Amino acid sequence: MSVNDATTAVSEELAKRKDMIVCVGVDKWYGDFQALKGVSATIKEGEVAVVCGPSGSGKSTWIRCINRLEVHQNGTIIVDGVELTNDLRNIEKIRSEVGMVFQQFNLFPHLTVLDNVTLAPIWVRKKPRVEAEALAKALLERVGIPEQADKFPGQLSGGQQQRVAIARSLAMEPRVMLFDEPTSALDPEMIKEVLDVMRELAESGMTMIVVTHEMGFAREVADRIIFMEGGEIVEVGTPEHFFVSPTEDRTKLFLSQIL
Amino acid sequence: MGSGISDAFDMNAGDSIGELPGKPVEVSSNPAEWLKKNLFANIANTLLTVVGGIATVLVLRGVLNFVFSEERRWDAVRTNLRALMTLAYPESQYARIWVSVAVLVTLVGLSSGLWANWGTIRVQRLCRWGMSLGGFIILCILLREPSVLLDSNGIVLRDSFSEPVRESFSSAMMSRSTWWIVGISFGGSGLAGWYRLDSTGRTKTVSATSTVLVPLGVLVVSLWVAPYGHYAYSDGLFIAEPGERVALSTSIPWTWLYLLLLATMVLGRFVRNSDLAGIAKTLVNVSWVISPFVLYWVILRDPDFDYAHVVSTDLPMGLLFGFLGSIILWWLTRSTGETARIFAVCLVGIAGFNWVAAAFGWYPMLQKARISFLLLAVAALLAPNFVGELAKRKKLVTYWLTTMLLVHYMATTINSPSTVDISSSEFLGGLSITLFVAALTIMFSFPLGVLLALGRTSKFPIFRVLSTGYIEIIRGVPLITILIFFSVMVPLFLPRGMELAELAAAITGYTLFSAAYLAENVRGGLQSVRNGQFEAADALGLTSVQRTGFIVLPQALRVSIPPLVGQVIATYKETSLLAIIGIFDFLRVANSAIPSQTAFLGVKREGLLVVSAIYFIFAFTTSKYSQRLERRLGVGER
Ligand SMILES: Nc1ncnc2c1ncn2[C@@H]1O[C@H](COP(=O)(O)OP(=O)(O)O)[C@@H](O)[C@H]1O
Ligand SMILES: [Mg+2]
Repeated sequence: MSVNDATTAVSEELAKRKDMIVCVGVDKWYGDFQALKGVSATIKEGEVAVVCGPSGSGKSTWIRCINRLEVHQNGTIIVDGVELTNDLRNIEKIRSEVGMVFQQFNLFPHLTVLDNVTLAPIWVRKKPRVEAEALAKALLERVGIPEQADKFPGQLSGGQQQRVAIARSLAMEPRVMLFDEPTSALDPEMIKEVLDVMRELAESGMTMIVVTHEMGFAREVADRIIFMEGGEIVEVGTPEHFFVSPTEDRTKLFLSQIL
Repeated sequence: MGSGISDAFDMNAGDSIGELPGKPVEVSSNPAEWLKKNLFANIANTLLTVVGGIATVLVLRGVLNFVFSEERRWDAVRTNLRALMTLAYPESQYARIWVSVAVLVTLVGLSSGLWANWGTIRVQRLCRWGMSLGGFIILCILLREPSVLLDSNGIVLRDSFSEPVRESFSSAMMSRSTWWIVGISFGGSGLAGWYRLDSTGRTKTVSATSTVLVPLGVLVVSLWVAPYGHYAYSDGLFIAEPGERVALSTSIPWTWLYLLLLATMVLGRFVRNSDLAGIAKTLVNVSWVISPFVLYWVILRDPDFDYAHVVSTDLPMGLLFGFLGSIILWWLTRSTGETARIFAVCLVGIAGFNWVAAAFGWYPMLQKARISFLLLAVAALLAPNFVGELAKRKKLVTYWLTTMLLVHYMATTINSPSTVDISSSEFLGGLSITLFVAALTIMFSFPLGVLLALGRTSKFPIFRVLSTGYIEIIRGVPLITILIFFSVMVPLFLPRGMELAELAAAITGYTLFSAAYLAENVRGGLQSVRNGQFEAADALGLTSVQRTGFIVLPQALRVSIPPLVGQVIATYKETSLLAIIGIFDFLRVANSAIPSQTAFLGVKREGLLVVSAIYFIFAFTTSKYSQRLERRLGVGER
């Protein structure tokens, strides 16, 4: 059912674009516990999808399945035309096309900011070091911290670290970016600087799936909002639809709790 | 580095070596206040101080009276210094030892110039050291018993109870005037420095390097001026010339070594700031790794080259291989194609077949040619990784040429007789064998330990079972058993004609043993790496080898520095078990070689004390160095 919801709720213009991520009936169990129950959704190229829902509803699990940090048991996930199977080459290809930003930043503490950003381009993309460094410097400039290149992550504030993490993902020149609660571990005064970077990224046309509780950001930037609960996609819609006239009771309950 | 955090982890933050800039500086109170605060704060505290003080004095007195007793035969140690260092290594070949030491000194100098940010030490700290050292020397002067009196024949005078007669306390104090001067000048300059300087003066810093180099320099100069005495024990003949300066054959090499250290440190510093820093660091690293093998050659082998053969066969063959091989590799790196791969596989086939043919005697091909073929085949297999720019292609050719050269040289030396004339089987012993075994054991067991740790945490059950089994078995068996097993049993199982030298057997045993323990330490480190690190690496598309090498291991090893260093020190001390399988290590020289000399029959304690002191100095330095390393790498900081 959610497949249809997902496609119908897209604007005309978006619907014409090509599919970037297609999930059909994705099931995921942790032992006996089913964390994802037939999740289906299609994300279009250049779309910004915000995923929200109560804690434990399977949001992280879902987006982690998209770059194979978790392995789904049933259903199909296709990223940019490549299906996720056990074939290692596909997994590597998809991982280098899909960037991910974590709640806890997960920067490499023993490497400088510059090395954090250049590591993957050099070793996965096989870029010459000079080129990778130039790219890294440009990206650090883009996320607003060019002067921190030679510091270690531990010397930066949370907001700066998360921006480095974004730059690190962008250095792989991904076609899709996944954000798993990128601002949840940040002090309030640093949330804006990270959201600003994400907003700029969205405007540049990046395909993004963002798990977040920042409803202001969702309302402003999202093309679609996906609401999950209990491992299912409950409701999908444009921000107007979602905030103004949600149809499902569970969505209404959730919104009444967080707004 | 986030100074707040590092302060919390750095107990000595106030006077740590290698100060971090911008850290608030705290000035310690003056000595009197310090005493009051730390030793006499309240009654209980005072009581403890008094009891502890008495105990210290008693122990120190005992040690002093032991060391300076007229019964001690320190000449046994002085005479046998060479034996303690190298045992029976022939005098005529000693240049080789000096060359080896010089190579090590060069590496130390270059490394410290290239890497070590030695940092600075506060004047305040130096003053404290001066005061402590001065106080300690004065305490020793006061505590040591007055010396015994000798009669005109040099025999100890005894009273009616046959107790030795000692000089009076006051004359003893007078006769120690040199030591008084030394003690007072250290303590005095410390105190004076403390009280003369205001708080800003005291927090001034001096380079930490100088605190090492200056004392070393003083020692070296003292070789030229101080009357250490000249002692020797050769062919059962004991020559003692007290009051002489040490022989030139000792002072000249040490002086050169000192100058070499200075020069290489300066050179390292200089290169560090130039464009060559990267290459130089790689070179020095590689040199460290190959140095034990090369030095082993230098010390134990003096290949007697058959120059006619070298000119007629080896050189032409090397040139031919070098030339043709370079052309082939150059061609192979033109572009990635199936032809290159097929060619490489064919080459591997030919190279392998050469060995089979040689084994069955179908056609005789020189061993060196077979080796070169094999090397060329490996290089050809690697060729697809070097396709691309000119520089990359050149790299492969250079690698191939250097490896071939090295291997050819080694093969030639192995196959030529040695001219080092060593009479007995105990050719080398003492400290040098201890250090040699320890160095090789650590070098080999480290990678093995890391592999075992990775195996034990691997997700492949077969690796896990094998590693776990290995580790548990080794940890359940005493080291001695393993050593004896390798020195006695293994040669029995080896095919005929393949004899493990005793030393090689010992090093194998130590390596296998030590690796199991290292593996457990590394595993602790591996477990401390957070899951998010693995996920971030995966999400970036790193392969699992890259993830392990770039992300997981560096962090794991950093965390495991303290236990790893503990294991290194343990390995070093365990080399004293070498004596049990019949190798004359450092301890055995002191414990049985010296006491069996006619001039020093049964003189053991002196040697053992010196051996312990030297063991201690090495272990202590290592441990201090690891503390610095921890601080510099910010273990515990995130
Ligand atoms: N590694 C795991 N093992 C077992 N259960 C898990 C694991 N990860 C998540 N879960 C469970 O799966 C459900 C969904 O988790 P998650 O995707 O993290 O939710 P969300 O991100 O929406 O808060 C939760 O009930 C959680 O307890
Ligand atoms: Mg989550």
